[in-house]
Amino acid sequence: MPKGIGKIKIRVPRKIKKGAVIPVKALITHPMETGFRKDKKTKKRIPAYYINDVNVYYGNDLITHMEWTIAVSANPFMTFYLKADKAAPLKIVWKDIKGGEYEKTIQINPQ
Amino acid sequence: MKEGSKISRREFMMMAGLACTAVLSASSLGSVLKPSIAEAAEKPDVEHINDVLKNMFGSRKIEMAHVKLKTPIIAENGAVVPVTVISDLPMEKDNYVKKIYIFVDENYHPFTASAELSPANGKATLALRIKMRKTSNVRAVVETSTGKLYSAIKAVKVTIGGCGG
Amino acid sequence: MYKNLFKIAVCLAVILSPLMAVHDVWAGGDSASIQEYEQGCTYEEYEKTYLEFYGNSTNEMAEEGNPAELMLDDGKDLYNTVDGSKGKSCASCHGENGEKLVGVAVKYPKYDPAIKGINTVALQINRCRENQMGAKPLKYESYDQLALTLYVKSLSNGMKINVSIDGPARKFYEKGKKFYYTRMGQWNFNCAICHVKYSCKRVRTNLLSPNRRHGDHWPSYRLKWGKTGSMQRRFRGCMKNMRAKPLPYQSEEYRNLELYLTYQSNGLPLEVPGMRM
Repeated sequence: MPKGIGKIKIRVPRKIKKGAVIPVKALITHPMETGFRKDKKTKKRIPAYYINDVNVYYGNDLITHMEWTIAVSANPFMTFYLKADKAAPLKIVWKDIKGGEYEKTIQINPQ
Repeated sequence: MKEGSKISRREFMMMAGLACTAVLSASSLGSVLKPSIAEAAEKPDVEHINDVLKNMFGSRKIEMAHVKLKTPIIAENGAVVPVTVISDLPMEKDNYVKKIYIFVDENYHPFTASAELSPANGKATLALRIKMRKTSNVRAVVETSTGKLYSAIKAVKVTIGGCGG
Repeated sequence: MYKNLFKIAVCLAVILSPLMAVHDVWAGGDSASIQEYEQGCTYEEYEKTYLEFYGNSTNEMAEEGNPAELMLDDGKDLYNTVDGSKGKSCASCHGENGEKLVGVAVKYPKYDPAIKGINTVALQINRCRENQMGAKPLKYESYDQLALTLYVKSLSNGMKINVSIDGPARKFYEKGKKFYYTRMGQWNFNCAICHVKYSCKRVRTNLLSPNRRHGDHWPSYRLKWGKTGSMQRRFRGCMKNMRAKPLPYQSEEYRNLELYLTYQSNGLPLEVPGMRM
Protein backbone atom coordinates (compact mmCIF):
# COMPACT_ATOMS: atom_id res chain seq x y z
CA MET A 1 0.00 0.00 0.00
CA PRO A 2 1.24 3.51 -0.64
CA LYS A 3 2.85 5.33 2.24
CA GLY A 4 1.24 8.15 4.15
CA ILE A 5 -2.20 8.64 5.57
CA GLY A 6 -5.32 9.49 3.66
CA LYS A 7 -4.45 8.27 0.18
CA ILE A 8 -7.70 7.16 -1.37
CA LYS A 9 -8.69 4.91 -4.23
CA ILE A 10 -12.26 4.32 -5.31
CA ARG A 11 -13.23 1.86 -7.98
CA VAL A 12 -16.52 1.36 -9.80
CA PRO A 13 -17.23 -0.65 -12.96
CA ARG A 14 -16.17 1.06 -16.21
CA LYS A 15 -19.52 0.78 -17.90
CA ILE A 16 -22.59 1.39 -15.83
CA LYS A 17 -26.14 0.73 -17.01
CA LYS A 18 -28.79 3.06 -15.75
CA GLY A 19 -30.53 1.61 -12.70
CA ALA A 20 -27.99 -1.15 -12.21
CA VAL A 21 -26.76 -2.02 -8.75
CA ILE A 22 -22.97 -1.61 -8.87
CA PRO A 23 -20.24 -2.45 -6.35
CA VAL A 24 -18.16 0.43 -5.05
CA LYS A 25 -14.75 -0.50 -3.68
CA ALA A 26 -12.84 2.01 -1.65
CA LEU A 27 -9.46 1.91 -0.01
CA ILE A 28 -7.87 4.49 2.23
CA THR A 29 -4.43 4.36 3.79
CA HIS A 30 -4.59 4.76 7.54
CA PRO A 31 -2.68 3.03 10.38
CA MET A 32 -5.83 2.30 12.45
CA GLU A 33 -3.84 2.06 15.67
CA THR A 34 -5.67 0.15 18.38
CA GLY A 35 -3.94 1.75 21.35
CA PHE A 36 -2.89 -1.71 22.59
CA ARG A 37 0.32 -1.86 20.58
CA LYS A 38 3.70 -0.87 21.95
CA ASP A 39 6.57 0.70 20.11
CA LYS A 40 9.28 -1.94 19.93
CA LYS A 41 12.11 0.53 20.54
CA THR A 42 10.76 2.98 23.08
CA LYS A 43 8.43 0.45 24.81
CA LYS A 44 5.84 3.16 24.95
CA ARG A 45 2.29 2.52 24.04
CA ILE A 46 1.19 3.87 20.68
CA PRO A 47 -1.95 5.91 21.24
CA ALA A 48 -5.14 4.88 19.49
CA TYR A 49 -5.64 6.57 16.14
CA TYR A 50 -8.37 5.32 13.89
CA ILE A 51 -11.15 6.26 11.53
CA ASN A 52 -14.47 6.21 13.32
CA ASP A 53 -16.86 7.80 10.88
CA VAL A 54 -17.51 7.26 7.17
CA ASN A 55 -20.13 9.03 5.10
CA VAL A 56 -21.14 8.35 1.52
CA TYR A 57 -22.97 10.98 -0.50
CA TYR A 58 -24.60 10.34 -3.84
CA GLY A 59 -25.63 13.64 -5.34
CA ASN A 60 -26.85 15.60 -2.34
CA ASP A 61 -28.11 12.66 -0.32
CA LEU A 62 -26.30 10.88 2.44
CA ILE A 63 -26.87 7.31 1.42
CA THR A 64 -24.60 5.38 3.78
CA HIS A 65 -23.16 6.20 7.13
CA MET A 66 -20.68 3.89 8.82
CA GLU A 67 -19.27 3.71 12.30
CA TRP A 68 -15.91 2.05 12.64
CA THR A 69 -13.86 1.03 15.66
CA ILE A 70 -10.26 -0.03 16.25
CA ALA A 71 -11.11 -3.51 15.03
CA VAL A 72 -11.19 -2.46 11.38
CA SER A 73 -7.90 -3.43 9.72
CA ALA A 74 -5.16 -0.98 8.82
CA ASN A 75 -5.57 0.56 5.37
CA PRO A 76 -9.33 -0.08 5.47
CA PHE A 77 -10.87 -1.56 2.37
CA MET A 78 -14.62 -1.70 1.97
CA THR A 79 -17.13 -2.74 -0.60
CA PHE A 80 -20.72 -1.58 -0.68
CA TYR A 81 -23.37 -1.32 -3.36
CA LEU A 82 -25.02 1.58 -5.08
CA LYS A 83 -28.07 1.84 -7.27
CA ALA A 84 -26.85 3.95 -10.17
CA ASP A 85 -30.09 5.63 -11.23
CA LYS A 86 -28.78 9.13 -11.92
CA ALA A 87 -25.69 10.92 -13.16
CA ALA A 88 -24.27 12.43 -10.01
CA PRO A 89 -21.05 12.68 -8.05
CA LEU A 90 -20.30 10.04 -5.44
CA LYS A 91 -18.45 11.46 -2.47
CA ILE A 92 -16.94 9.45 0.35
CA VAL A 93 -15.70 11.18 3.49
CA TRP A 94 -13.61 9.47 6.15
CA LYS A 95 -13.06 11.11 9.57
CA ASP A 96 -10.56 9.96 12.18
CA ILE A 97 -10.51 10.61 15.92
CA LYS A 98 -7.80 13.26 15.70
CA GLY A 99 -10.01 15.39 13.49
CA GLY A 100 -8.50 14.36 10.18
CA GLU A 101 -10.91 14.46 7.27
CA TYR A 102 -10.23 12.73 3.99
CA GLU A 103 -12.55 12.79 1.03
CA LYS A 104 -12.72 11.89 -2.61
CA THR A 105 -15.37 12.42 -5.24
CA ILE A 106 -15.92 10.45 -8.40
CA GLN A 107 -18.52 10.96 -11.08
CA ILE A 108 -21.09 8.25 -11.75
CA ASN A 109 -22.34 8.38 -15.33
CA PRO A 110 -24.86 5.65 -16.03
CA GLN A 111 -25.79 5.06 -19.65
CA MET B 1 46.08 -36.16 23.32
CA LYS B 2 46.60 -33.60 26.04
CA GLU B 3 45.26 -34.52 29.40
CA GLY B 4 43.69 -31.14 29.83
CA SER B 5 41.49 -31.47 26.83
CA LYS B 6 40.05 -34.80 27.89
CA ILE B 7 36.51 -34.63 28.88
CA SER B 8 34.41 -37.45 30.17
CA ARG B 9 31.09 -38.42 28.72
CA ARG B 10 29.46 -37.73 32.05
CA GLU B 11 30.83 -34.24 32.22
CA PHE B 12 29.73 -33.56 28.72
CA MET B 13 26.19 -34.69 29.44
CA MET B 14 26.07 -32.59 32.55
CA MET B 15 27.21 -29.54 30.68
CA ALA B 16 24.83 -30.11 27.85
CA GLY B 17 22.05 -30.60 30.34
CA LEU B 18 23.04 -27.42 32.10
CA ALA B 19 23.10 -25.46 28.93
CA CYS B 20 19.70 -26.80 28.02
CA THR B 21 18.17 -26.08 31.39
CA ALA B 22 19.66 -22.62 31.34
CA VAL B 23 18.06 -21.93 28.01
CA LEU B 24 14.82 -23.57 29.03
CA SER B 25 14.51 -21.84 32.36
CA ALA B 26 15.24 -18.49 30.80
CA SER B 27 12.56 -18.98 28.21
CA SER B 28 10.03 -20.47 30.63
CA LEU B 29 10.65 -17.72 33.12
CA GLY B 30 10.07 -15.23 30.42
CA SER B 31 6.85 -16.85 29.38
CA VAL B 32 5.62 -17.06 32.97
CA LEU B 33 6.48 -13.50 33.84
CA LYS B 34 5.62 -11.76 30.63
CA PRO B 35 1.89 -12.27 30.41
CA SER B 36 1.26 -11.47 34.07
CA ILE B 37 3.11 -8.19 33.83
CA ALA B 38 1.73 -7.44 30.45
CA GLU B 39 -1.81 -8.24 31.44
CA ALA B 40 -1.68 -6.13 34.57
CA ALA B 41 -0.58 -3.14 32.56
CA GLU B 42 -2.33 -3.62 29.27
CA LYS B 43 -5.54 -5.53 29.61
CA PRO B 44 -8.27 -3.06 28.79
CA ASP B 45 -11.86 -3.23 29.96
CA VAL B 46 -13.33 -6.33 28.46
CA GLU B 47 -16.87 -6.28 27.25
CA HIS B 48 -18.82 -9.47 26.94
CA ILE B 49 -20.67 -10.04 23.72
CA ASN B 50 -23.96 -10.76 25.53
CA ASP B 51 -23.82 -7.45 27.36
CA VAL B 52 -23.03 -5.61 24.16
CA LEU B 53 -25.94 -7.19 22.33
CA LYS B 54 -28.24 -6.47 25.27
CA ASN B 55 -27.18 -2.82 25.38
CA MET B 56 -27.73 -2.39 21.67
CA PHE B 57 -30.86 -4.39 21.04
CA GLY B 58 -32.41 -4.81 24.48
CA SER B 59 -34.56 -7.89 24.66
CA ARG B 60 -35.66 -7.77 21.02
CA LYS B 61 -35.82 -11.07 19.27
CA ILE B 62 -32.96 -11.80 16.86
CA GLU B 63 -33.83 -14.32 14.18
CA MET B 64 -31.14 -16.44 12.56
CA ALA B 65 -32.23 -15.96 8.96
CA HIS B 66 -31.90 -13.80 5.85
CA VAL B 67 -28.24 -13.02 6.50
CA LYS B 68 -25.23 -14.65 4.93
CA LEU B 69 -21.79 -14.16 6.38
CA LYS B 70 -18.70 -14.84 4.32
CA THR B 71 -15.46 -15.29 6.19
CA PRO B 72 -12.40 -17.45 5.82
CA ILE B 73 -12.55 -20.55 8.03
CA ILE B 74 -8.90 -20.18 8.90
CA ALA B 75 -7.13 -16.83 9.09
CA GLU B 76 -3.36 -16.93 9.30
CA ASN B 77 -3.22 -13.23 9.97
CA GLY B 78 -5.68 -12.03 12.58
CA ALA B 79 -4.99 -8.43 11.63
CA VAL B 80 -6.63 -8.83 8.23
CA VAL B 81 -9.75 -10.96 8.10
CA PRO B 82 -12.11 -10.18 5.25
CA VAL B 83 -15.76 -10.31 6.21
CA THR B 84 -18.74 -9.91 3.91
CA VAL B 85 -22.28 -9.54 5.15
CA ILE B 86 -24.99 -10.22 2.60
CA SER B 87 -28.68 -10.05 3.17
CA ASP B 88 -31.38 -11.13 0.76
CA LEU B 89 -33.89 -8.74 2.31
CA PRO B 90 -35.47 -6.23 -0.06
CA MET B 91 -34.20 -2.66 -0.43
CA GLU B 92 -37.47 -0.91 -1.22
CA LYS B 93 -38.63 2.50 -0.20
CA ASP B 94 -40.43 1.60 3.01
CA ASN B 95 -38.98 -1.80 3.62
CA TYR B 96 -35.22 -1.90 3.57
CA VAL B 97 -32.20 -2.90 5.60
CA LYS B 98 -31.50 0.04 7.84
CA LYS B 99 -28.33 -1.08 9.54
CA ILE B 100 -25.70 -3.77 9.41
CA TYR B 101 -23.62 -4.55 12.50
CA ILE B 102 -20.48 -6.65 12.71
CA PHE B 103 -19.28 -8.15 16.00
CA VAL B 104 -16.29 -10.29 16.97
CA ASP B 105 -17.15 -12.18 20.15
CA GLU B 106 -13.68 -12.59 21.62
CA ASN B 107 -12.33 -9.12 20.92
CA TYR B 108 -12.00 -6.84 23.94
CA HIS B 109 -14.62 -4.65 22.35
CA PRO B 110 -16.84 -6.96 20.32
CA PHE B 111 -18.54 -4.18 18.36
CA THR B 112 -16.46 -3.77 15.21
CA ALA B 113 -18.38 -1.72 12.71
CA SER B 114 -21.84 -0.72 11.64
CA ALA B 115 -23.28 0.70 8.46
CA GLU B 116 -26.51 2.61 8.06
CA LEU B 117 -27.87 1.92 4.62
CA SER B 118 -30.66 3.46 2.59
CA PRO B 119 -32.72 2.24 -0.39
CA ALA B 120 -30.23 4.02 -2.67
CA ASN B 121 -27.75 1.24 -1.93
CA GLY B 122 -29.83 -1.23 -3.89
CA LYS B 123 -28.31 -4.23 -2.14
CA ALA B 124 -27.78 -4.90 1.54
CA THR B 125 -24.14 -5.94 1.36
CA LEU B 126 -21.08 -4.76 3.20
CA ALA B 127 -17.54 -6.08 2.90
CA LEU B 128 -14.81 -5.03 5.30
CA ARG B 129 -11.48 -6.27 6.55
CA ILE B 130 -11.38 -6.61 10.31
CA LYS B 131 -8.99 -7.50 13.12
CA MET B 132 -9.44 -10.51 15.36
CA ARG B 133 -7.59 -10.99 18.63
CA LYS B 134 -7.95 -14.76 18.58
CA THR B 135 -10.09 -17.63 17.33
CA SER B 136 -13.66 -16.50 17.71
CA ASN B 137 -17.16 -16.28 16.39
CA VAL B 138 -17.91 -13.47 14.02
CA ARG B 139 -21.50 -12.36 13.98
CA ALA B 140 -23.48 -10.05 11.78
CA VAL B 141 -26.76 -8.48 12.79
CA VAL B 142 -29.08 -6.83 10.31
CA GLU B 143 -31.79 -4.39 11.32
CA THR B 144 -34.62 -3.61 8.94
CA SER B 145 -36.57 -0.39 8.71
CA THR B 146 -39.57 -2.24 10.09
CA GLY B 147 -37.61 -2.98 13.25
CA LYS B 148 -36.85 -6.63 12.77
CA LEU B 149 -33.48 -8.15 13.61
CA TYR B 150 -31.75 -10.95 11.74
CA SER B 151 -28.37 -12.49 12.37
CA ALA B 152 -25.74 -14.98 11.26
CA ILE B 153 -22.74 -16.41 13.09
CA LYS B 154 -19.60 -17.99 11.77
CA ALA B 155 -16.48 -19.28 13.50
CA VAL B 156 -13.06 -18.14 12.30
CA LYS B 157 -9.89 -19.87 13.44
CA VAL B 158 -6.96 -17.53 13.87
CA THR B 159 -3.76 -19.52 13.60
CA ILE B 160 -0.23 -18.34 14.10
CA GLY B 161 2.57 -19.81 12.09
CA GLY B 162 1.49 -22.42 9.60
CA CYS B 163 2.88 -22.66 6.13
CA GLY B 164 2.06 -19.21 4.84
CA GLY B 165 5.53 -17.69 4.82
CA MET C 1 42.83 -23.83 31.65
CA TYR C 2 42.48 -25.66 28.37
CA LYS C 3 39.85 -27.83 29.97
CA ASN C 4 37.77 -24.82 30.89
CA LEU C 5 38.09 -23.32 27.47
CA PHE C 6 37.02 -26.58 25.95
CA LYS C 7 34.04 -26.73 28.26
CA ILE C 8 32.97 -23.28 27.21
CA ALA C 9 33.40 -24.19 23.58
CA VAL C 10 31.25 -27.31 23.96
CA CYS C 11 28.65 -25.34 25.84
CA LEU C 12 28.51 -22.72 23.12
CA ALA C 13 28.31 -25.40 20.49
CA VAL C 14 25.35 -27.02 22.22
CA ILE C 15 23.53 -23.73 22.50
CA LEU C 16 24.38 -22.45 19.07
CA SER C 17 24.05 -25.66 17.09
CA PRO C 18 20.42 -25.01 16.09
CA LEU C 19 21.46 -21.64 14.74
CA MET C 20 24.43 -22.96 12.84
CA ALA C 21 22.37 -25.63 11.17
CA VAL C 22 20.89 -22.99 8.87
CA HIS C 23 23.03 -23.68 5.89
CA ASP C 24 22.73 -23.22 2.20
CA VAL C 25 23.49 -26.25 0.10
CA TRP C 26 22.42 -26.13 -3.47
CA ALA C 27 24.06 -25.92 -6.81
CA GLY C 28 22.97 -25.70 -10.37
CA GLY C 29 23.40 -28.55 -12.80
CA ASP C 30 21.60 -31.32 -14.54
CA SER C 31 18.53 -32.91 -13.07
CA ALA C 32 19.38 -36.44 -14.16
CA SER C 33 20.28 -37.45 -10.63
CA ILE C 34 17.01 -36.17 -9.19
CA GLN C 35 14.74 -38.72 -7.66
CA GLU C 36 11.30 -37.52 -8.66
CA TYR C 37 8.30 -38.05 -6.45
CA GLU C 38 4.94 -39.27 -7.52
CA GLN C 39 2.34 -36.52 -7.55
CA GLY C 40 0.26 -36.80 -4.38
CA CYS C 41 -2.93 -35.63 -6.06
CA THR C 42 -4.13 -33.83 -9.15
CA TYR C 43 -5.31 -30.26 -9.09
CA GLU C 44 -8.93 -31.33 -9.47
CA GLU C 45 -8.66 -33.52 -6.39
CA TYR C 46 -7.03 -30.67 -4.54
CA GLU C 47 -9.86 -28.30 -5.36
CA LYS C 48 -12.35 -30.79 -4.00
CA THR C 49 -10.37 -31.27 -0.79
CA TYR C 50 -9.96 -27.52 -0.50
CA LEU C 51 -13.71 -26.98 -0.63
CA GLU C 52 -14.24 -29.59 2.08
CA PHE C 53 -11.48 -28.15 4.21
CA TYR C 54 -11.82 -24.39 3.88
CA GLY C 55 -15.14 -23.94 2.16
CA ASN C 56 -15.43 -21.65 -0.81
CA SER C 57 -14.52 -18.59 1.20
CA THR C 58 -11.49 -17.27 -0.65
CA ASN C 59 -13.12 -17.29 -4.06
CA GLU C 60 -16.23 -15.67 -2.68
CA MET C 61 -14.21 -12.96 -1.03
CA ALA C 62 -12.37 -12.25 -4.24
CA GLU C 63 -15.73 -11.53 -5.86
CA GLU C 64 -16.55 -8.94 -3.21
CA GLY C 65 -13.36 -7.10 -3.87
CA ASN C 66 -9.68 -7.71 -4.28
CA PRO C 67 -7.62 -4.83 -2.89
CA ALA C 68 -4.97 -5.54 -5.51
CA GLU C 69 -7.36 -4.28 -8.20
CA LEU C 70 -6.80 -0.77 -6.91
CA MET C 71 -3.08 -1.30 -7.27
CA LEU C 72 -3.67 -2.17 -10.89
CA ASP C 73 -4.98 1.33 -11.58
CA ASP C 74 -1.81 2.80 -10.07
CA GLY C 75 0.18 0.53 -12.35
CA LYS C 76 -1.60 1.95 -15.38
CA ASP C 77 -0.76 5.49 -14.29
CA LEU C 78 2.88 4.53 -13.81
CA TYR C 79 2.91 2.94 -17.24
CA ASN C 80 1.99 6.29 -18.76
CA THR C 81 4.30 8.37 -16.57
CA VAL C 82 7.38 9.83 -18.25
CA ASP C 83 10.50 9.15 -16.23
CA GLY C 84 14.28 9.20 -16.70
CA SER C 85 16.78 11.08 -18.84
CA LYS C 86 15.36 10.07 -22.24
CA GLY C 87 11.93 11.55 -21.58
CA LYS C 88 10.05 8.37 -22.30
CA SER C 89 7.39 6.35 -20.58
CA CYS C 90 6.52 2.70 -21.07
CA ALA C 91 3.71 3.88 -23.32
CA SER C 92 6.17 5.58 -25.74
CA CYS C 93 7.31 2.19 -27.02
CA HIS C 94 4.54 -0.21 -26.08
CA GLY C 95 1.45 1.77 -27.02
CA GLU C 96 -0.82 3.92 -24.96
CA ASN C 97 -3.04 1.20 -23.57
CA GLY C 98 -0.31 -1.37 -23.73
CA GLU C 99 -1.69 -2.92 -26.92
CA LYS C 100 1.77 -4.11 -27.96
CA LEU C 101 2.17 -5.97 -24.69
CA VAL C 102 -1.01 -7.99 -24.99
CA GLY C 103 -0.11 -11.66 -24.80
CA VAL C 104 3.52 -11.03 -23.93
CA ALA C 105 3.39 -11.84 -20.23
CA VAL C 106 2.14 -15.40 -20.77
CA LYS C 107 5.49 -16.27 -22.39
CA TYR C 108 7.43 -15.09 -19.34
CA PRO C 109 9.71 -16.15 -17.71
CA LYS C 110 11.74 -16.86 -20.83
CA TYR C 111 15.35 -17.17 -21.93
CA ASP C 112 16.97 -13.92 -22.84
CA PRO C 113 20.34 -14.01 -24.66
CA ALA C 114 21.14 -10.47 -23.49
CA ILE C 115 21.45 -11.54 -19.87
CA LYS C 116 22.34 -15.15 -20.69
CA GLY C 117 19.65 -16.37 -18.38
CA ILE C 118 15.99 -16.34 -17.55
CA ASN C 119 14.15 -13.06 -17.76
CA THR C 120 11.06 -12.33 -15.69
CA VAL C 121 8.48 -9.58 -16.13
CA ALA C 122 9.71 -7.69 -13.07
CA LEU C 123 13.31 -7.89 -14.23
CA GLN C 124 12.41 -6.85 -17.77
CA ILE C 125 10.58 -3.78 -16.46
CA ASN C 126 13.69 -2.68 -14.62
CA ARG C 127 15.89 -3.40 -17.64
CA CYS C 128 13.58 -1.34 -19.84
CA ARG C 129 13.73 1.50 -17.37
CA GLU C 130 17.51 1.45 -17.28
CA ASN C 131 18.27 0.89 -20.95
CA GLN C 132 15.38 2.49 -22.83
CA MET C 133 14.18 5.20 -20.47
CA GLY C 134 17.36 6.08 -18.64
CA ALA C 135 15.48 5.87 -15.38
CA LYS C 136 16.38 4.32 -12.06
CA PRO C 137 15.32 0.71 -11.66
CA LEU C 138 12.47 0.21 -9.21
CA LYS C 139 13.22 -1.64 -5.99
CA TYR C 140 11.88 -5.18 -6.15
CA GLU C 141 8.75 -5.78 -4.12
CA SER C 142 8.20 -2.03 -3.76
CA TYR C 143 4.70 -0.74 -4.38
CA ASP C 144 5.54 0.81 -7.76
CA GLN C 145 7.38 -2.22 -9.05
CA LEU C 146 4.52 -4.53 -8.09
CA ALA C 147 1.91 -2.21 -9.53
CA LEU C 148 3.70 -2.00 -12.87
CA THR C 149 4.26 -5.77 -13.03
CA LEU C 150 0.62 -6.28 -12.20
CA TYR C 151 -0.52 -3.95 -14.96
CA VAL C 152 1.73 -5.47 -17.61
CA LYS C 153 0.64 -8.98 -16.67
CA SER C 154 -3.03 -8.03 -16.52
CA LEU C 155 -2.88 -7.08 -20.22
CA SER C 156 -2.64 -10.80 -20.97
CA ASN C 157 -5.38 -11.81 -18.55
CA GLY C 158 -7.40 -14.79 -19.71
CA MET C 159 -4.78 -15.96 -22.19
CA LYS C 160 -3.21 -19.36 -21.78
CA ILE C 161 0.20 -19.54 -20.15
CA ASN C 162 2.67 -20.69 -22.75
CA VAL C 163 6.17 -20.89 -21.32
CA SER C 164 8.78 -22.44 -23.57
CA ILE C 165 11.62 -24.59 -22.29
CA ASP C 166 13.06 -25.41 -25.72
CA GLY C 167 16.57 -24.55 -26.73
CA PRO C 168 18.79 -22.66 -24.31
CA ALA C 169 15.97 -22.34 -21.74
CA ARG C 170 16.13 -26.10 -21.16
CA LYS C 171 19.31 -25.80 -19.12
CA PHE C 172 17.77 -23.25 -16.79
CA TYR C 173 14.60 -25.26 -16.47
CA GLU C 174 16.68 -28.22 -15.30
CA LYS C 175 18.47 -25.96 -12.83
CA GLY C 176 15.15 -24.74 -11.49
CA LYS C 177 13.96 -28.31 -11.15
CA LYS C 178 17.14 -29.23 -9.35
CA PHE C 179 16.55 -26.37 -6.94
CA TYR C 180 12.99 -27.55 -6.42
CA TYR C 181 14.27 -30.96 -5.39
CA THR C 182 17.25 -29.80 -3.32
CA ARG C 183 16.98 -30.42 0.39
CA MET C 184 17.76 -27.33 2.39
CA GLY C 185 17.51 -25.64 5.74
CA GLN C 186 17.24 -26.92 9.24
CA TRP C 187 14.19 -29.04 8.53
CA ASN C 188 15.97 -30.60 5.58
CA PHE C 189 12.94 -30.14 3.34
CA ASN C 190 12.69 -29.47 -0.32
CA CYS C 191 9.88 -27.80 -2.21
CA ALA C 192 8.78 -31.04 -3.82
CA ILE C 193 8.10 -32.90 -0.58
CA CYS C 194 5.17 -30.64 0.24
CA HIS C 195 3.97 -29.74 -3.21
CA VAL C 196 4.49 -33.01 -5.07
CA LYS C 197 4.75 -35.95 -2.71
CA TYR C 198 2.40 -34.86 0.05
CA SER C 199 0.10 -32.54 -1.85
CA CYS C 200 -3.49 -32.61 -0.54
CA LYS C 201 -2.21 -33.72 2.85
CA ARG C 202 -2.45 -31.49 5.87
CA VAL C 203 0.24 -29.75 7.85
CA ARG C 204 -1.64 -28.70 10.99
CA THR C 205 -4.24 -26.26 9.68
CA ASN C 206 -2.72 -25.99 6.23
CA LEU C 207 -3.63 -27.95 3.17
CA LEU C 208 -0.67 -28.55 0.88
CA SER C 209 -1.30 -27.54 -2.69
CA PRO C 210 0.01 -29.37 -5.75
CA ASN C 211 2.31 -27.27 -7.93
CA ARG C 212 0.04 -27.22 -10.96
CA ARG C 213 -1.47 -23.80 -10.29
CA HIS C 214 1.35 -22.00 -8.58
CA GLY C 215 2.25 -19.86 -11.54
CA ASP C 216 -0.96 -18.33 -12.85
CA HIS C 217 -2.00 -15.59 -10.42
CA TRP C 218 1.04 -13.58 -9.31
CA PRO C 219 1.34 -10.81 -8.14
CA SER C 220 -1.38 -11.80 -5.74
CA TYR C 221 -3.11 -10.37 -2.68
CA ARG C 222 -2.50 -12.62 0.28
CA LEU C 223 -4.52 -12.44 3.47
CA LYS C 224 -1.54 -13.61 5.49
CA TRP C 225 0.48 -10.61 4.33
CA GLY C 226 -2.44 -8.23 4.20
CA LYS C 227 -0.68 -7.00 1.09
CA THR C 228 -0.01 -7.74 -2.53
CA GLY C 229 3.21 -9.57 -3.20
CA SER C 230 5.10 -11.39 -5.89
CA MET C 231 5.78 -15.08 -6.41
CA GLN C 232 9.35 -14.58 -5.27
CA ARG C 233 8.19 -13.18 -1.97
CA ARG C 234 6.37 -16.47 -1.49
CA PHE C 235 9.56 -18.36 -2.34
CA ARG C 236 11.31 -16.44 0.40
CA GLY C 237 8.53 -17.21 2.84
CA CYS C 238 8.64 -20.91 2.01
CA MET C 239 12.39 -20.97 2.47
CA LYS C 240 12.12 -19.24 5.82
CA ASN C 241 9.63 -21.90 6.87
CA MET C 242 12.14 -24.57 5.93
CA ARG C 243 14.61 -22.60 8.03
CA ALA C 244 16.87 -21.98 5.10
CA LYS C 245 18.36 -18.64 4.20
CA PRO C 246 16.07 -16.87 1.73
CA LEU C 247 17.72 -15.59 -1.42
CA PRO C 248 17.49 -12.03 -2.75
CA TYR C 249 14.73 -11.08 -5.19
CA GLN C 250 15.41 -11.89 -8.84
CA SER C 251 18.47 -13.95 -8.00
CA GLU C 252 19.38 -16.53 -10.61
CA GLU C 253 18.02 -19.43 -8.57
CA TYR C 254 14.66 -17.76 -8.07
CA ARG C 255 14.32 -16.89 -11.75
CA ASN C 256 15.04 -20.49 -12.69
CA LEU C 257 12.56 -21.67 -10.10
CA GLU C 258 9.97 -19.26 -11.44
CA LEU C 259 10.46 -20.74 -14.89
CA TYR C 260 10.10 -24.28 -13.55
CA LEU C 261 6.92 -23.48 -11.64
CA THR C 262 5.31 -21.39 -14.36
CA TYR C 263 5.95 -24.21 -16.81
CA GLN C 264 3.88 -26.47 -14.55
CA SER C 265 0.99 -24.04 -15.10
CA ASN C 266 1.26 -24.14 -18.89
CA GLY C 267 -2.11 -24.18 -20.60
CA LEU C 268 -3.95 -22.49 -17.74
CA PRO C 269 -5.34 -19.00 -18.21
CA LEU C 270 -3.42 -16.16 -16.58
CA GLU C 271 -5.50 -14.52 -13.84
CA VAL C 272 -3.95 -11.55 -12.12
CA PRO C 273 -4.31 -10.20 -9.54
CA GLY C 274 -4.97 -13.33 -7.55
CA MET C 275 -6.39 -13.47 -4.07
CA ARG C 276 -5.51 -16.23 -1.69
CA MET C 277 -5.12 -17.25 1.93
